[in-house]
Amino acid sequence: MGVIDELTAEFARLPGVGRKTAARLTFFLLKRSPDEARRLARAIDAVADRVRHCSRCGNLTETDPCGLCEDPRRDRSVICVVEEAADVLAIERTGQYRGMYHVLAGRLSPLEGVGPEDLNIDSLLRRLVGSTGGKEVQELIIATNPSVEGEATALYLQKLVRPRGVRVTRLARGLPVGGDLEYADGVTIAEALSGRREL
Amino acid sequence: MALATLDAIILQAFPYSETSKILRLLTPGHGVQSVMAKGARRLRSRYGGILEPFTDGFATFYLRQNRELHTLSDFELVRPRQALGRDLVRFGGASLLAEIMLRTASEEAAPEVFSRVRSALDRLEAASPETVEATALAETWALITALGFGPSLDRCVECGEAVPDEGELFLDYAAGGVFCKACQGGGGGGRVLPEPARADLRALSAGVVVELPRTGAHWQLLSRFLAFHLVDAASLRSLDFLYGARGAQ
Ligand SMILES: [Zn+2]
Ligand SMILES: [Zn+2]
Repeated sequence: MGVIDELTAEFARLPGVGRKTAARLTFFLLKRSPDEARRLARAIDAVADRVRHCSRCGNLTETDPCGLCEDPRRDRSVICVVEEAADVLAIERTGQYRGMYHVLAGRLSPLEGVGPEDLNIDSLLRRLVGSTGGKEVQELIIATNPSVEGEATALYLQKLVRPRGVRVTRLARGLPVGGDLEYADGVTIAEALSGRREL
Repeated sequence: MALATLDAIILQAFPYSETSKILRLLTPGHGVQSVMAKGARRLRSRYGGILEPFTDGFATFYLRQNRELHTLSDFELVRPRQALGRDLVRFGGASLLAEIMLRTASEEAAPEVFSRVRSALDRLEAASPETVEATALAETWALITALGFGPSLDRCVECGEAVPDEGELFLDYAAGGVFCKACQGGGGGGRVLPEPARADLRALSAGVVVELPRTGAHWQLLSRFLAFHLVDAASLRSLDFLYGARGAQ
């Protein structure tokens, strides 16, 4: 396989990109200056090289702990628990939330072999105990997707966390059932946040 | 090739691409079928987020012979089962039924198995908190029985003679039933089943919810029995989940 085909094949693996679009992207790059193509290559290379999971919250980050965890202006008494790092971005876009995050990296799905031990739950529990002797975190907002599996995950966390004296809330309805938080618009997420209810 | 609209229960739904989902459907006339639901993950999808595990509805797709993956063209909701996610044992129990169907997947018509699964999901959703575990056990044993590998509890698996209701007998997992006193058994995997436990198991296999003082032993029995009767012996993930979920309740 020649290099042109190789690049096209790589593009075609991206979400939402078919063979035709992949070929168009390849030829677009070939028409531009080599520097432009190299800039793209360097950006991809840097992402692959430097982006890691934050050891505290599981979010994607270049620095560990991540910027959100290190930001002194954020409210440390609230942690918003999401399924994926993309959900953090979606909630940040609303500009309505000033607390901390925790990324589970999935949701409970017995059928797909995802049990509690496969999610970032231990690290969440460690944060509740906290380095300052507890009491720092007062509320956990569970923002897993409003799907059957997301609901079960929320319930599991609630059962686990409630005995530790932390308030547990769930995003309000209004988010489409079965939808992905990642794709919800900012207004919908902001409303769901402000209308969260006790679990 | 024909466009067919079939009764369908979604056994499993997982993301395929950024925008689509793959569904594993249970149908009465065509067993387990896989379909691709294009655009189902989009926020304003015409499916409106109904393509979720355990949902009941009418699925429309081109049913092509020897095709592994069909393309869903419509799904009409009959009954959402979102509520099964709001209780860990209900969720685990429903997942277990789905997992058994996926592990024994065949494309053959099995209308009685289909209605069994459908009513099982309804009963799991409706069960009172006190009976939900026994309901999950009963529905699982009843499904196993409907699939044709339920335990033989009234006749000896070796000689076929009727066994008395009284007394303890050896239940052999691999043989799939009890041994009479004359045939003994007990060489392979199995356990001695005291009289009340056999009565409970008989009731559960008929889908009857009985009062179970110790459910732990029943889950263990179910798990061992299934290990001998599913194609590959790997343990069922839903059973592991259920076992843990009971503790978390
Ligand atoms: Zn972080
Ligand atoms: Zn015998």
